[in-house]
Amino acid sequence: MRRDWKFYSQLGLTVLLCLFIVIPVGMSALAGVTVNVFKGLSSGLTLRWIIEVWDLYASSIMLSLWIALVCLAVTLVAGVPLAYVLVRRPGRLTRLFEELLTLPVAIPGLALALALLITYGGVSGYRSSWLFILTGHVLFTLPFMVRSVAAVMSAMDMKMLEEGAASLGAGFWRRFFTVIVPNAKPGILAGALMVVTLSIGEFNLTWMLHTPLTKTLPVGLADAYASMRLEIGSAYTLIFFILIMPLLIAMQALADRGKRASKRIDTAEDTL
Amino acid sequence: MSTQIRLRDCAKTFGDGTRALAPFDLTIEGGETIVLLGPSGCGKTTILRMIAGLEFPDKGGVITFDGDDVTHQSIEKRRVGMVFQSYALFPNMTVAQNVAYGLKVHGVSREESDARVKDMLEMMHIEMLADRRIDQLSGGQRQRVALARAIAVQPRVLLLDEPLTALDAKLRVRLRTEINALLRKLGITAVYVTHDQEEAMALGDRIVVMQKGEIAQIGTPREIYRKPQNPFVADFVGAANRLDGQMRDGRLHIGTHVFDAVDAFDPRHGAIIDQGPVELFFRADGLSTCDAARAHVTGRVEAVSYLGERLRLTVSGIGAQAVIVDTHADDVIAPGADVHCQINPDRLTVFPVGAGAGNSAANQSAHAVS
Amino acid sequence: MSSVQNIQEGRSRPSFPFGFLRRATPGAGSPAILALLMTPGIIIVAAFFLIPLALVAMRVADGPDGWATYFVILTNGRYFASLVQTLLMSAGVTLTALILCGVCGLFLVRNRFAGRNMLMALLTLPLSFPGTVVGFMVIMLAGRQGVIGSVTDALFDEKLVFAYEISGLFIGYLYFSIPRVILAVMASAEKLDPQLEEAARSLGAPTWRVIKDVILPGLMPGLVSSGAICFATAMGAFGTAFTLATDIDVLPMVIYTEFTRNANVAVAAALSIALGAMTWAVLFAVRCFVGSSADTAARGGA
Repeated sequence: MRRDWKFYSQLGLTVLLCLFIVIPVGMSALAGVTVNVFKGLSSGLTLRWIIEVWDLYASSIMLSLWIALVCLAVTLVAGVPLAYVLVRRPGRLTRLFEELLTLPVAIPGLALALALLITYGGVSGYRSSWLFILTGHVLFTLPFMVRSVAAVMSAMDMKMLEEGAASLGAGFWRRFFTVIVPNAKPGILAGALMVVTLSIGEFNLTWMLHTPLTKTLPVGLADAYASMRLEIGSAYTLIFFILIMPLLIAMQALADRGKRASKRIDTAEDTL
Repeated sequence: MSTQIRLRDCAKTFGDGTRALAPFDLTIEGGETIVLLGPSGCGKTTILRMIAGLEFPDKGGVITFDGDDVTHQSIEKRRVGMVFQSYALFPNMTVAQNVAYGLKVHGVSREESDARVKDMLEMMHIEMLADRRIDQLSGGQRQRVALARAIAVQPRVLLLDEPLTALDAKLRVRLRTEINALLRKLGITAVYVTHDQEEAMALGDRIVVMQKGEIAQIGTPREIYRKPQNPFVADFVGAANRLDGQMRDGRLHIGTHVFDAVDAFDPRHGAIIDQGPVELFFRADGLSTCDAARAHVTGRVEAVSYLGERLRLTVSGIGAQAVIVDTHADDVIAPGADVHCQINPDRLTVFPVGAGAGNSAANQSAHAVS
Repeated sequence: MSSVQNIQEGRSRPSFPFGFLRRATPGAGSPAILALLMTPGIIIVAAFFLIPLALVAMRVADGPDGWATYFVILTNGRYFASLVQTLLMSAGVTLTALILCGVCGLFLVRNRFAGRNMLMALLTLPLSFPGTVVGFMVIMLAGRQGVIGSVTDALFDEKLVFAYEISGLFIGYLYFSIPRVILAVMASAEKLDPQLEEAARSLGAPTWRVIKDVILPGLMPGLVSSGAICFATAMGAFGTAFTLATDIDVLPMVIYTEFTRNANVAVAAALSIALGAMTWAVLFAVRCFVGSSADTAARGGA
């Protein structure tokens, strides 16, 4: 293709958009390791802020990771079988349930949190524990798990695979664990990454549900932005980036692999 | 060793009230290969799925394997081997693991299973593919794996649901021959579903021709081909040409011509057709081209296709619809020309008018053999 | 034998079109198993979503006007103004994101050049940033110590600072929306059949016609569904506004203030329900329009 002014103006816009995204990320990362932001880089680089953040917020960060893992476990146990039923037995009732299931995503987290507070706010042992936050996270992330798994399941002609396994004598649970689950693995993996990422970053619900003793990473972030010096906020953000980056890269890699796999179909020669 | 299968009074009505199968009886002898043949929607697959245990007959239907009532047994318990049109291989396992799956389910020991898998792969000539992933196989290879997997568990009956339909024509013929040899070698009871009558002829000990949820005819390939019992079967197995005639005193009148030695036995009524209007079904060999003097009928060539060993003409003006006539490959005939034909009465199948509607859906495959 | 009517191919029809859990489908699990499989999900949704939602709906009646509190969003001038402002800003963000990402997404799919993959990776970077982080990014851009401020300070001797007001929020939601819309546009653009475009060109269509008749219709489902996500997020998100300033008067902030500072639970509940219903309605309408499902796929919580 000839590269004319149209190409370069579009390239320019894209680069501009990219800068818009990247500059603040770079700035905050840099600010997190700068001795004094107001004086600029000339004041030198330091890990002091990072260490300080760790001292102040290590428990929030650990709590976030813990909640994300438990949330993943719950969404796996609830979501994978749910996706199976929704795909395998499509009907009006399952449609309705699916719609219901996705509502927590459509409804603003604030409203959801309000509902949870009004209902369970009085249950003191529960209200003040991390389980209360977990509840919100599970509600919010479950639809992502179900959708992700269901998408893969409906693409794989589950009915036929199951019939094949059944004709060989396999009962339901054996079919479920040796055929269905392994073949839904890409969807489960993508869903799991999504759930963990979302849970680690969830703020809308968590801000309303948390107590001073159950602060998660984003709650701590908001806290740091509001009441700490800019360097601390930046350093904390940097820690968040470092946490989230492997998850993002893994998600990207998974998506790429899916794309490549779908292109490989029918390359085998019919030599027999 | 091989299992006899009986279906008695089996009918199938789906949940929304549509009737897929009228009540029927069918006995499949031990070791027999039976082919269920018919256009799509005729109910052949439903019968297969009933035998498999993937559908249950309506109340009153009974299915027995060697006398054991399996009507309410689920597919896992029936010990059937099944081969699907789209293979149904497990993508998360290698070829060998696929073949071993049923053995593992049945608790066969590791050593025995390994040995059996090896035998199966060798039998299907795919031993070099043992460690391949399913998505690295071609369609033909996949169907071999599916066959090996189904046979490995030594099923009581092998059920094949249009196993070759997804493959290209050349491969289809080759695998068909192999499946045929395999079925004879194993001596296993087999039920094979297809809409391709050539496949049915090649494989079946007997063929069950299905039409709209009913059995139209059961018979050996020869019977089905030579003595179709109704216009639908005649049409479906390739006798797609149709002419009108009259029976008068046991003699067939076509136009002004009269033919004596015609087999005008009506199997539905168990009697010779003596009088009345009749329909005549025949393949391309029912008419042959000749010179004008000896012609019984004359028509106009609409289209000519060169088939290598012969020339196939589509001729109008003879019957109500165009008929297919073959002639020598060396003849030079152009569309628009007149063509004179002789009728070969021993190639005609005669039905009284109204014996049953020929199904036009069958026409597409009707030209395949003649 | 009577002839059988309405025959259909057995294989191609679902065995039990009406009943869910009504009879066993051979090959699928039995009704008991299916019910068991759904149990955890049903418990979660019922106990932590349906019941709380119902309780919130009831709670509204405790408000100053009884059940009429439901309409407080329309009758109270302050709430209504906030609703209008939120709607306008959300629509603005959506439109801006669609235009910018439409151009760039299409460009990235159709051109191959050095650095393309890096541009793509960078553009989708904020995909999983929570709202608070997005807010912080806005501060980095347009805050007191921000890039824009420093640049304008150097050029015009005047610091341009707009992070802590509604335009800052606008920038924040744009920041949040760009990765999502870009991904959606690129996914649809990759599915565009180049032959369609070639056909249009072979028929003599000028570029703008090709764009209008071939490219835009092809991108439409992706644009519509990702636009809906942008809109819904901008309507309901809270973290960004919270980080930037607590007195930006968008609806979620109003709800938050009513609930925490004024302890006005009934009004907060009524506003939440109104907000939730509107957001859901937009997503639902879009899903009906484009058929299915991209909506949850791209959403994360700002």
